[in-house]
Amino acid sequence: MIESIRDLARKWLESKEVDAIFGLKEQDGGVAPYLFTGRVNGISELGKLTTSTQYRRLCYTCRPSKDNILSLMQRREPNMKIGIVARGCEERALVELAKRGQIDLEKIKIMGIACSQEEAKECKCERPYPNNLVIGERVEGVSGDENINALLSKSLPERLAFWRHELSKCIKCYGCRDACPMCFCKDCKMEQKIFTETGSLPPEIPMFLFIRFYHISERCIGCGECEKACPVDIPLLTIFRQLRRDMKDLFDYEAGIAVEQESPLLTTLDESPMRKEVTSGV
Amino acid sequence: MEYKNVLTTCPYCGCGCNFYLQVLDGKLIGILPCKSHPVSQGKLCIKGLNAGDFVTSKDRLTKPLIKRNGKFTDISWDEALFLVAKKLKEYKESYGPDSIAVLSSAKCTNEENYLMMKFARAVLGTNNVDHCARLCHASTVVGLVQSFGSGAMTNSIRELEDADCILVIGSNTPEQHPLIARYILRAKEKGAKIIVADPRSITLVQFADYHLRHRPGTDVALFNGMMNVILNEGLEDKEFIKERTEGIEELKEVVKKYTPEYVEQITGVPKDILVDAARTYAKAERASIIYSMGITQHTTGVDNVRSSANLAMLTGNLGKPSTGVNPLRGQVNVQGACDMGALPNVYSGYQNVVDEKAREKFGNAWKVKLPEKPGLTIIEMMNEAAKGNIKAMYIMGENPMVSDPDISHVKEGLEKLEFLVVQDIFLTETAQLADVVLPGACYAEKEGTFTSTERLVQMVRKAIEPPGESKADWEIICSLAKAMGSKEFEYVSPAEIMDEIASFTLSYGGMSYDRLQKGGLAWPCPSKEHPGTPYLHKEKFSRANGKGKFFGIEFKEPAELPDEEYPFILSTGRIIFHFHTGTMTRRTELLNKEVPTGYVEIAHIDAARLGIGAGEFVSVQTRRGQIKTKALITERVPEGMIFIPFHFAECAANVLTNPAFDPVAKIPEYKVCAARIEKVKVS
Repeated sequence: MIESIRDLARKWLESKEVDAIFGLKEQDGGVAPYLFTGRVNGISELGKLTTSTQYRRLCYTCRPSKDNILSLMQRREPNMKIGIVARGCEERALVELAKRGQIDLEKIKIMGIACSQEEAKECKCERPYPNNLVIGERVEGVSGDENINALLSKSLPERLAFWRHELSKCIKCYGCRDACPMCFCKDCKMEQKIFTETGSLPPEIPMFLFIRFYHISERCIGCGECEKACPVDIPLLTIFRQLRRDMKDLFDYEAGIAVEQESPLLTTLDESPMRKEVTSGV
Repeated sequence: MEYKNVLTTCPYCGCGCNFYLQVLDGKLIGILPCKSHPVSQGKLCIKGLNAGDFVTSKDRLTKPLIKRNGKFTDISWDEALFLVAKKLKEYKESYGPDSIAVLSSAKCTNEENYLMMKFARAVLGTNNVDHCARLCHASTVVGLVQSFGSGAMTNSIRELEDADCILVIGSNTPEQHPLIARYILRAKEKGAKIIVADPRSITLVQFADYHLRHRPGTDVALFNGMMNVILNEGLEDKEFIKERTEGIEELKEVVKKYTPEYVEQITGVPKDILVDAARTYAKAERASIIYSMGITQHTTGVDNVRSSANLAMLTGNLGKPSTGVNPLRGQVNVQGACDMGALPNVYSGYQNVVDEKAREKFGNAWKVKLPEKPGLTIIEMMNEAAKGNIKAMYIMGENPMVSDPDISHVKEGLEKLEFLVVQDIFLTETAQLADVVLPGACYAEKEGTFTSTERLVQMVRKAIEPPGESKADWEIICSLAKAMGSKEFEYVSPAEIMDEIASFTLSYGGMSYDRLQKGGLAWPCPSKEHPGTPYLHKEKFSRANGKGKFFGIEFKEPAELPDEEYPFILSTGRIIFHFHTGTMTRRTELLNKEVPTGYVEIAHIDAARLGIGAGEFVSVQTRRGQIKTKALITERVPEGMIFIPFHFAECAANVLTNPAFDPVAKIPEYKVCAARIEKVKVS
């Protein structure tokens, strides 16, 4: 698969369909996101273009500017056309970013790649493929989530105790937020004193993390980068996966599918969007 | 447009996490965690995730400065180097080499520390070179060398995850070494028992099976009490003791009287809890001790460290995975700065300056006759400066005006100096006292290596250009050495310096940039083929006879105890949101938002008694001085104890601390002194 990706990247660059390819580069015994321009050291650099299960997504929000790397690039060179090697979750991130005015999708060409069955399992991904699938075979998503089911089978006090234990490990690194492609607010609610007392550990339970759950609930594209960034292994994706399910059940809405689909939480409530009462929740 | 990620090592604590510096067209735009790194695994703490902020701060020094009529003005590098070289030569010739002292830096690379100690010894001709390890783990370096023959973390970080019992004493791991705490929590999830011994109720206590809340400064008694229980119940590892150690009789003789009852009297730890904790530790298949400044920063620092070694040896918890005695080092390269010999008594690899062979080896290589007498430690330098015996100092990347105990005395010493050169990235409180300030490059702007707390030597890679005319510290030292006429500083790159280090330092003998570019190597790594050493003392200890040594150690009270006039025990330390003297973290937006200034932790009961309300200003006084700060009323400290983080110059804890030090390691007693606290009357 990697050869097909490199070949296509080379073709896109040579035919000037794109000016650069944003992908993963093999370096220093690992991989890291890189912009292959074909200008530095010629196109031969594409030999280092790769994919990795470690970095399934590559467009992150940069801090302290709080801009997505792609929006920084587009602001710097508005006319540059960037090709991006994107898995399903990456594509969903791009759609949501475009929906919210962070990037210009017109100037982005998505080279959609499919995840393997194994990769899908690891991420418990419901949609391990992009809409614009270009390379690879589409495999079915994972529907159940035993973590969620296990929690749902417990009583409310047990669930509360579970989350209290998990949240009390938090060391307030903001790593979940920093890893999230949807966390680009200039004025982050997690940092605001009115929601969470500053300077204490663990941060206020549950407000510190819950304010992000609320804020990202309908944007979450389910990539799981937040959970992977957590130094104390808080199962953040369990919450977000359930939130995504709730969005689907309540509003028949899924983040990251199409730019035109507006978030139900952003529409006016002239007509009640609620389809049924909320009864579940982990 | 150019976008790249440059892999490097985090500049804060000793965990040695790696991350990528994101660079867009030559500008640093963010930090990206590195998922393939063995320790950090794509995770970082708040300081690491924000380690780009201070790099681009507008406060960075960009030009050499000279103080004229009390004000700093820019000068050229040529002028600055000429002047510093001329002055240092003058003092060397007029008053002798020992009239000059040098502070190296645990924030600088191994290569820079090696050069700094070489500069002090070969160019200035003095062993007066030290650095902040004196203030944090001098007792570890001395104590563990006496017990085991090697003064470093015996095991590696990730092994913790598979320990069956972890004793955390004097380490607020979740705040000071967050990515090490990760592995403690993971061990807990796997069923390990966690014992926390700390006077403060740190956040780790909520996950602990036992909290031994001993009175500050009673660590030796606590250790002796645990060993008393273990020996009484026959839980010691008799085979290990027989085969691999010496001195057990001496230990037995001393710990005999430290019965749980007696230890309760000294430490305040209920005897039943002590007994249970001792049994839990002794019965574990793999038990690991983690400690940090809570036991090292005492007048009995070396005793505390050797006591932890006693306990581990008594139960055979050494030389195998997930065990050991694990000092967590607080600065990114404090291990490396020690390894490189930025200490007054050793060259790189702890080769002693009084050893004629070592002296000859380095002297021949550097083509100079090296001084024989061990040099002064930090505290002694300040004392001698105040007395007028040290005339000039060259300080690189250290800020004693905030970090050292009894700051008023430090200031007196530094002001008495005839000539002070400070090399730093910011105009620190110390730099403000300098005659000449040289602008250094920070970690993101230079190449080199750092050695983490687990002895892992890792690359620091250059991502961006240093601001203005600032230069990498290794380049500055080389230029200065050349300006003083030395021909031994002709390096073209840090790789070349590492080659020299490897050729003179057995534990680093197999290291080179070619190898390190592919990943870190844990010392000892004596040859090109050697894979590095994750845990020490596997077959034998590093002491000359290969045996670990028990020491019978009696409990001694701290130098200054509370009395009627100063009824509180004052302890100092760090918090997760800031680092050391705040030079970097206080120039980081998010960290300042979390904690903008200092405070004093006081227990509810004491605050109520003294009529102090939450957030009210109080005056804290000791025999050294007084500060005004805000009260944080909390259950973290017990009755009778107060705690002040030392990061904040405007209410500096070290105005208060006691410079009394351990007789051998010369580490000051930051953790215990007597203090008074009272509400500041609003006028």
